[in-house]
Amino acid sequence: MALRAVVRGLSELCITAGILIVLFVVHLLYWTGLRADSASDNEIDRLHERWAAAPRDGSAAADEGRAGAPSRREREQRGRDGETGPAGGAGERRAGRAQQQPYRDGRSFAVMYIPRFGRDWSKPVLESTGEQTLRRGLGHYTRTARLGGKGNFAVAGHRRTYGDPFKDFPRLRPGDPVVLTDGDTWYTYTIVKRPYRTLPGDTGVLDAVPAPVNKAAAPFTGPGRYLTLTTCDPEWGSSHRLIAWGRLDATRPASEGSPGALTR
Amino acid sequence: MYGWIWRHLPGNVWVRILISTVLVVGVVFLLFQYVFPWAEPMLPFNDVTVDGAAAPAAGTAPGGLV
Repeated sequence: MALRAVVRGLSELCITAGILIVLFVVHLLYWTGLRADSASDNEIDRLHERWAAAPRDGSAAADEGRAGAPSRREREQRGRDGETGPAGGAGERRAGRAQQQPYRDGRSFAVMYIPRFGRDWSKPVLESTGEQTLRRGLGHYTRTARLGGKGNFAVAGHRRTYGDPFKDFPRLRPGDPVVLTDGDTWYTYTIVKRPYRTLPGDTGVLDAVPAPVNKAAAPFTGPGRYLTLTTCDPEWGSSHRLIAWGRLDATRPASEGSPGALTR
Repeated sequence: MYGWIWRHLPGNVWVRILISTVLVVGVVFLLFQYVFPWAEPMLPFNDVTVDGAAAPAAGTAPGGLV
């Protein structure tokens, strides 16, 4: 009788463990996705509400005046770097306003669109790359440049689970637009290289001028306004990271409607 | 284990089925709401950032920077 009880107990334990594992997989594959999608939609809705409640276009002129000195300096700087491009006025205006509204930890401040990932692919960008933040959208590396600012605007996102935002990351190709808006301005970055695969400790990829361990993979030679996207690789693993770089190609006031890259 | 629980539930068969269902739903809720979100960061799917601190001590990096 005692043997029978032991066998029964063990069997029940195994069945329980099996059910637990199945439930955990369901949680990972479906539940986190459902939760993350609704959290992302909430963040985007909240952003749109905030932008609608406090239209910042009206204050642009005043800010431009205040930002006059730094932007002149930036222009000279750019002249020295020999860099030209349409990434002009709005970006500098933003840079001038940067000190006034620091991004708040865990708060969303922009929406990202990547047409390569699908017409209706849009995700909120939140400040910080903490665990809780990345469950609600993409995370901006706190120590990197601001959106549209001089330097490197770096963003991390989940490849799998929590809505799979960067599932199609390896499909990014040079020339792909990555469009962001902060409610004030549309920023169109253009991917310059195929995704670069590296090790998790390769923090140089986030530098103002990205400096990956593999020197040959360095996408830029001089300072500029850059974008870095990071996610994990392989899809379900964590041994490596995938990195994509872009450069700011165009800015456009939000009042003029969404840029061409989104309507094509 | 399950037999023991069943024997100790009160009422007739239908009441027991009802109570069992409630118990199962409660356990699943607790798992999805608290246990799985706690266990999930120990798996590798969260490591999407490039960070020097995350390389050797992935699970223990402060602030969840893994």
